[in-house]
Amino acid sequence: MSHTPQPSALKMGIPIPNSKLGLWLFLGTEIMFFTAFIGSYIVLRMGSPGWPTDYDDTHISVGAGFINTCVLILSSYFVVVAHEAMAQKNFKKANMYLWGTMILAFVFLGIKGYEYRGKIVHDILPGRIAETPTAAIKKASRELEKVVRKRFEQYTDRGVVVTTQPTNIVEIVNLIQALPDSKPPEGIDAELFSDFQKTAPIDVDLYKKWMDLHQHIVANVSLKLPADTAAYLASRESLKEGEKPPVLEFDEVKAYIAELKKNPDYGADVTKAVNELHPMVYGNIFASCYFLMTGFHAIHVIVGMILFGVVLKQGSGLNEKWTDFVENSGLYWHFVDLVWIFLFPLLYIIDFT
Amino acid sequence: MSDHSHDNHHVNYRLIFIVLVVCSILSFVFDKISLTPKVTLVLVLAVACTKAMCVMMYFMHLKFEGNWKYVLLAPTTILAIGLPVALFPDIGASYYTSIAPQTTTWKSENDEFKAHHTTSMEGEPAPAEPQG
Repeated sequence: MSHTPQPSALKMGIPIPNSKLGLWLFLGTEIMFFTAFIGSYIVLRMGSPGWPTDYDDTHISVGAGFINTCVLILSSYFVVVAHEAMAQKNFKKANMYLWGTMILAFVFLGIKGYEYRGKIVHDILPGRIAETPTAAIKKASRELEKVVRKRFEQYTDRGVVVTTQPTNIVEIVNLIQALPDSKPPEGIDAELFSDFQKTAPIDVDLYKKWMDLHQHIVANVSLKLPADTAAYLASRESLKEGEKPPVLEFDEVKAYIAELKKNPDYGADVTKAVNELHPMVYGNIFASCYFLMTGFHAIHVIVGMILFGVVLKQGSGLNEKWTDFVENSGLYWHFVDLVWIFLFPLLYIIDFT
Repeated sequence: MSDHSHDNHHVNYRLIFIVLVVCSILSFVFDKISLTPKVTLVLVLAVACTKAMCVMMYFMHLKFEGNWKYVLLAPTTILAIGLPVALFPDIGASYYTSIAPQTTTWKSENDEFKAHHTTSMEGEPAPAEPQG
């Protein structure tokens, strides 16, 4: 036959299997799904007065995107060869190429995971990016407070420090400060208590460092001036009328946090919890768009892998009844590749200025 | 049994694959050589459309399918183009001064910060920043 078969007078409809038609209808909806996000990204980026583009801000590596593009194109090619093999009833070849596709899908997810890790390590997540230097400073202070509270929790959880107000950090620090001079409460092991007596001065020191920073932030006064009330008021004596004390600077807070991270006792905790101070204006909308598009694409990749998994599970039992399934899985996979073909230039390359 | 009339149209899949890889390399090259943003945009999107047509026509076999493909893809295309076009006048274009905090309350602080903390993109070394 060299012509497209026309439906007979008795049979209406188009000459493709129902499953293929169903899948194409589904792909139609999926295209609308992705164009919603991609269209929104384009429109938001065009309308935004600015957008982070430096690698230092976004940590978007064009090389990783390029490798992912090649991986997906190769996997699409493998799927098409596998489908051809199924039509020729060469099921062993089809199996082999489908395994190739599956492995490449894992490679794609691996590279994507590496890219996501890079973002998470720098706290480039929607809603968590400080957009101004002041926001970055306040965020660092909040993160430092979390470290202090977590370390204090050790005392209250073990019953070493007994308090009716577990969230009142001022009361807890006073109790911890008094630890070296007090006796263990009832039911507390003496050795455990003496361990905590040793760590008490360290945690009080960290608290004081955080409170120092916090008070400077609240008063918006440079770290060069002391936080201690009497000394601070004395330093203001020398000011002339209308003159203000120097304001808190971003660089000195950055240096202050860096010092804390070097401390041998609590440095590790601070390094883990306090992210680098890196304000990025328009960073949150960038992160939202990026994770929405790539996240949904990754979910679609996983769904494709499940489809291929069902076929590969047949193993040597793969027969001609599976031809349509393989063709439809292949169509879905080509769609996933198609979305990435558009995502790659839009996210990694283009600058909508 | 399904009708596979399009099996008679032999497609050289390897050739299409090579074309796709070459297009990918082209878009990577367009990024690396410095062109004006508009030129890069046009070139890179043209490459993306070429790749998309290759995948759709040959890998997805649409070239050999009947006219039903137009019926199917028409509503999709309408929405795909229509949505950004509909949103563009409100969100994409700016007729008025933006009142977002980034452009009003935070602008002076961010401009001052940027003035003192340039990245080394222009080849100048960034000012020595403390570690952290």
